[in-house]
Amino acid sequence: MSRLIALINGDEDLGRSVWFWLAAALVVLGFALLPLWESEFGAYNISFYLLNIPLALGLCMLWGYCGVLSFGQVAYFGVAAYVYGIIAGNMIGNNWGPIVASLGGLLACAVVGTVFGYFVFYARVQAWIVPILTLVFTLLLETFLGQTAGYQWRVGIVQLGGYNGMTAIPPFQIGSHMFMGYSFFYYALIVVLACYLGCRMLVNSQRGKTMLAIREDDLRAELLGYDIRRHQLVVFVLAAMLAGVSGLLYVQWGNYITPTQVGLLQAALPVVWVAVGGRERLLAVLISTFALNWFNYKLATQGNQYAPVYMGALLVIVMLFFPRGIIVTVAEFFRGRRWKAT
Amino acid sequence: MDTLGLIASILYQFGTNAAFLLISAIGLIVILGMMRIINLAHGELMMMGAYTATIAFHRGIPFPIAAILSFFVVAVAGAIIERLVVRRFYGRELGALVVTWGISLILGQTTLVIFGPFMQAIAIPAGSFALGQFSFSVYGIALIVIAVLLLVALWWIYTRTTFGLQARATMQNPAMARALGVNTDRIYMLTFALGAGLAGFSGALMAPTVSIAPFMGQQFVAPAFITVVVGGAANVLTGAAGSSLLLSLVKTPIGFLFGAFLGTVALLLAALIIIRLMPNGISAYLQRFADGRVGR
Repeated sequence: MSRLIALINGDEDLGRSVWFWLAAALVVLGFALLPLWESEFGAYNISFYLLNIPLALGLCMLWGYCGVLSFGQVAYFGVAAYVYGIIAGNMIGNNWGPIVASLGGLLACAVVGTVFGYFVFYARVQAWIVPILTLVFTLLLETFLGQTAGYQWRVGIVQLGGYNGMTAIPPFQIGSHMFMGYSFFYYALIVVLACYLGCRMLVNSQRGKTMLAIREDDLRAELLGYDIRRHQLVVFVLAAMLAGVSGLLYVQWGNYITPTQVGLLQAALPVVWVAVGGRERLLAVLISTFALNWFNYKLATQGNQYAPVYMGALLVIVMLFFPRGIIVTVAEFFRGRRWKAT
Repeated sequence: MDTLGLIASILYQFGTNAAFLLISAIGLIVILGMMRIINLAHGELMMMGAYTATIAFHRGIPFPIAAILSFFVVAVAGAIIERLVVRRFYGRELGALVVTWGISLILGQTTLVIFGPFMQAIAIPAGSFALGQFSFSVYGIALIVIAVLLLVALWWIYTRTTFGLQARATMQNPAMARALGVNTDRIYMLTFALGAGLAGFSGALMAPTVSIAPFMGQQFVAPAFITVVVGGAANVLTGAAGSSLLLSLVKTPIGFLFGAFLGTVALLLAALIIIRLMPNGISAYLQRFADGRVGR
């Protein structure tokens, strides 16, 4: 038990004091009591702000802790979402279909991530090549999914649907209970908390220290006997699966997915969330992802077409003036001391 | 006669594919080779070039002059972007990637808001001619010639002008170049402007072949990025020429047999395999071959 606490409360994330944990408990309690202060429609919206958090945490670990930047996290989001839609759609009527479909979606992410990551990391490419290739992969996936309109593009009874998207995807279900409204919100909350605590334990573990060593100096880490290719590949696959978790939550929330979700504009957003929060701290990314999704959703529902301009400008400003991220910079300011510059 | 036509047709397909790859990537390659920076706003700079050329063309300016005008307009835009933002990111590859992506979001969406989703197209200049039963577009052949001319011009700039000499010195050892009186800041700005201008010029050249829209750049960036990744950053010109020829060798037959989309997928797969074999790109491989020694 004390080892578990030491893992969760290690020094590689923000918030280690008793006061922090009290505040965090209050926030979680506030979310848990959501039905008291928010309508079912409000809960539905808040679920949406939550569901991108696993994807952002994955990118945060990959970029901030491991020094590998990926622009293609939405590709795994899409892979999981489409695979879920295909399997669950074909097993419709079966109470256990959605669980099988979720596992299938995650497995697909892991397989695609492993194959792609093998070629990239075992080639020991230079740092700038990984984001470029992941971006190209995303673009091709979008193009592919976009041209799957028509009856010939179907798997079993499910049509891929081209740019019209895949519709009527079954919600998540355990036994005979379907997760919708408040119960979907609780399901998403638990998944997000589990992902966050899991990531936090990982970065504080031995493997997390190795990740940091590779980020700081890959040659030195390698000379000390660590197989950096394997470590990078493992984190890459993990990040792909976390993106897959977000993809699953998204289709289970909206029952709908289009190729636009895998597009270039969407691909930029996770980078914005992670950069704005501060890529070296998971908690900062969690908060910024929630806040920026809320902001983006408000803009989108108002039909504001400047949303991508704001996101782009935010990214440029943060990279210029807060290279460590806004939330991390603020947290440092209040703590009154700096971590060693990286 | 028909065999001759077939051979000409295959060569033509191969040549236009290689020219397409080279032209869409050349601006990116110039910036990468000099400054180790990937400019993710490349697609949007091409879009700006296409818009400039289209607007100028519909005002009655002949297409070749409109394309050259695009070069200068986008080069100025590139110089501004470099001064305001990019120069703070030298030596931080990943930071530069991210910040140029922010710029690309701003440029793409702003264009959408200002000009709307569509623009009047330009007809493909010149006509076509037939050889046997095969038909060839004059514009396609012009693109091949322009690609070769671009390579020659860049070779001339880099090896025969003072700017080129200073640029190569800056690339090899910026501190020493500065110590010897080279204004490296100015070299970086001019290089970025040159790369941006080439992106604008290539956007203008592509404009007649595609529909002009704010996000039109996206269709060029995937092949352009693959060309750059395969080419590598060791030697700009050999990398660009070698990788566009090699990739065209992959894309032409697969695109011909299975369609354009699978042709592009084949490009990605080829890129994954090529970097597995030559992690620093084809230019490093050729360089090593030319130097006649093994190892780095």
